Amino acid sequence: MKKLYMIFVAIVLTIAAEAQTLNVRVGNVTYRFPAAQCGEMNYANGTTLTIMDKEFSLNEVTNITFDPTEVVDNTIGVTYNGSTASVVVAGNIAQYVTPTVSGAHVGITQHDDLAEEITYTLSGTSTDGEFYMSGSYKATIELNGLTLTNMTPVYSGAAIHIQNGKRIKVKPVTGTTNSLTDAANGSQKGCLYIKGHAEFAQKGTLNIVGKVKHGIKTGEYFTLKNATINVTSAVGDGINCEQFFLMESGSINISGTSDDGIQCDIEDTTAGSTGETTDHEGEDSGNVYIAGGTITINSDAAAAKGIKCEGDLTVTDGTVTVKSSGTAVWDAADAEVKGSTCLSADGRMTLSGGTLTLTNSEAGGKGIKTDGVMTVGGNANLSVTASGPIAYCSSTTNTTIMTTTTSRTVERLSDALKTSPKAIKSDGAMTVSGGSIFAKSSNHEAIETKSTMTITDGYVYAEAGDDAINSSGDFTISGGYVFGNSSGNDGLDANGNFNIKGGNVVAVCAGGAEVGIDANTEGGKKLTITGGNIVAIGGFERGSTISGGTAKSASYTKGAWYGLYNGSTAAFAFKVPSNSSMGSSMVVYTTATPALNKGVTGSGTSFWNGNGFPSFSGGTSVSLSNYSSGGGGGWPGGGGRW
Amino acid sequence: MKRLFLLIAVMIGILTAQAEDYSYLTFETTDGAKVSVPTSSLTITISGTTLTAGSESFTLSNLSKMYFSTGDESTPTGIEQLKSVNFDEAIDIYDLNGRKVAKDQMKKGAYIIKTKQGTFKIVVK
Repeated sequence: MKKLYMIFVAIVLTIAAEAQTLNVRVGNVTYRFPAAQCGEMNYANGTTLTIMDKEFSLNEVTNITFDPTEVVDNTIGVTYNGSTASVVVAGNIAQYVTPTVSGAHVGITQHDDLAEEITYTLSGTSTDGEFYMSGSYKATIELNGLTLTNMTPVYSGAAIHIQNGKRIKVKPVTGTTNSLTDAANGSQKGCLYIKGHAEFAQKGTLNIVGKVKHGIKTGEYFTLKNATINVTSAVGDGINCEQFFLMESGSINISGTSDDGIQCDIEDTTAGSTGETTDHEGEDSGNVYIAGGTITINSDAAAAKGIKCEGDLTVTDGTVTVKSSGTAVWDAADAEVKGSTCLSADGRMTLSGGTLTLTNSEAGGKGIKTDGVMTVGGNANLSVTASGPIAYCSSTTNTTIMTTTTSRTVERLSDALKTSPKAIKSDGAMTVSGGSIFAKSSNHEAIETKSTMTITDGYVYAEAGDDAINSSGDFTISGGYVFGNSSGNDGLDANGNFNIKGGNVVAVCAGGAEVGIDANTEGGKKLTITGGNIVAIGGFERGSTISGGTAKSASYTKGAWYGLYNGSTAAFAFKVPSNSSMGSSMVVYTTATPALNKGVTGSGTSFWNGNGFPSFSGGTSVSLSNYSSGGGGGWPGGGGRW
Repeated sequence: MKRLFLLIAVMIGILTAQAEDYSYLTFETTDGAKVSVPTSSLTITISGTTLTAGSESFTLSNLSKMYFSTGDESTPTGIEQLKSVNFDEAIDIYDLNGRKVAKDQMKKGAYIIKTKQGTFKIVVK
């Protein structure tokens, strides 16, 4: 049986090898016509030869040869070799394209009457070459071991320039490494420029160096599956696209950029961002979607963003790591001080999955900044750190950037003259309904929303030199695990009302006039507690309303582990921070009578950056005193913030 | 097993049909004459007004078309139409067995006749 198969295969191969191909060579371009498709090839006036409707000027034909190689319809191969390039065109599409080869600079024009998709396969190496294609029909560009550097541009200066507004698939062939470097003296928008929709796929690698503008620029959407894209240098953004950016799998590594790592612009600035449309059809514009894969960005450009979108940013899966170390600058056009940001959205930000590790070490730098609503839920796992000082300048005429770690230094300056380092800042309402957040800001708020904050589930650990978590509007906790650790202000602070209806909360303030949990009493707002398991080092805001449970106060020891009981049920274990300045006593609240053990051993999966456990054992009982909300949250019975 | 053979036979048939053996490229000139050249290792070049295909050369302005063919379709050029031959000028006459025969010995049949004008194959009816 095996023999039979082998004979069969041999016969098939033999038959296949008999295919006859006519090759018309015109300079460095060879048109390949399968004999079976040629039919009659007509001469006219001794000047032209027409094969499959492709007319050749006989005086341009170098030669015509024959071989048994199979021709794959709808394909064009471009092979670079040093200072030259050769092009091979399948006969069935010969009449629809006009190739031009000058040295290793290859241009191909797709005619308007082309009605079939062409696959271009680019391979080989040139230290001074480029590939330019124009047309109005979708195409596929395969990169099959291509190393292309453009030195003396014939076209725009891009290494690859696709002046075609239709869907363009870019496929770094699986197992191959491809490297593109554009010309330093060109007018290109990107080392790899695609005017239309760009869909990257396959499991090859594409390395990009952008010497004039962006590493990759697409005039419309950018999507990625499987491929690895490395942008190691770009004068502009690493990747810049319009419409939307969608990453489903694969890897993107960006470094050495002078602007943002990834930027997605709104295509129609008059219409603005559309938000997500069904299947991204229509005018889905300005939005970034990360649904899988790995993105790693090292951004050190001044005031740059690791990932920036003019619309909404949505992460549902994948791994995103952004390290920002770009300094703050005075932006003369907007007349304000601007810092760098790891993740920035001009619209909404929705994080429902994935692992995001965002680190900003520069003055005024932020981990996350969104102008719209921010939502964290699902399985999102965030670690966001902003460790720089505040950046500011003294006036609009003296714009030298200075830094300070003290908020008081800049409190009289207008917002335009300063930018504060925050792990997470949302100008819109922020909701946490799941996932896990670690947010740390050494010199300002760790998490700030300029609207309301609502936490219904998930794990939040915020550590800051200012308020750990601050909301300009109402702050509501009804579930989840929330730890706010401030070494310079309130643990959890609402400039509106603060309502705790459930959940597990630890709030640590810096002592003095600060409190563990603060509401804007001066503004007529109030802290209202009706449920949950709560620990507040530094106590509750004066005049808070406490019902549905019992509050007690106790002394505490820095760095010690405690276990909180709701009646006889273990609520959670927590470790008291060792900040140099902390509230003078600890208030605990549970819906049943609270009890507290010191020196417990936590068990289960830890949370709150290792400072909490869902269950515990051991320890010794801590003496609790009655607590009166009217007396504030300082020492038992009083001493809190007034 | 039978099925497999049948399948193989059909597939080979299909493949054979698809991969027809175009061994010749046939040129046709404006006067209708055809010249076939084998495509194996064939190179066609054009120089000035002349196209050269292997050992054949054509004046470009005389070419009408070309096409692939499975066989040699060349217009016969080794046999010419016999217009008038003077048998009196016959030098030698042979039958198809190579025997030399005299003119008056010729019966019905084919003969090779050698004259000053050339050598011809004739049929006596």
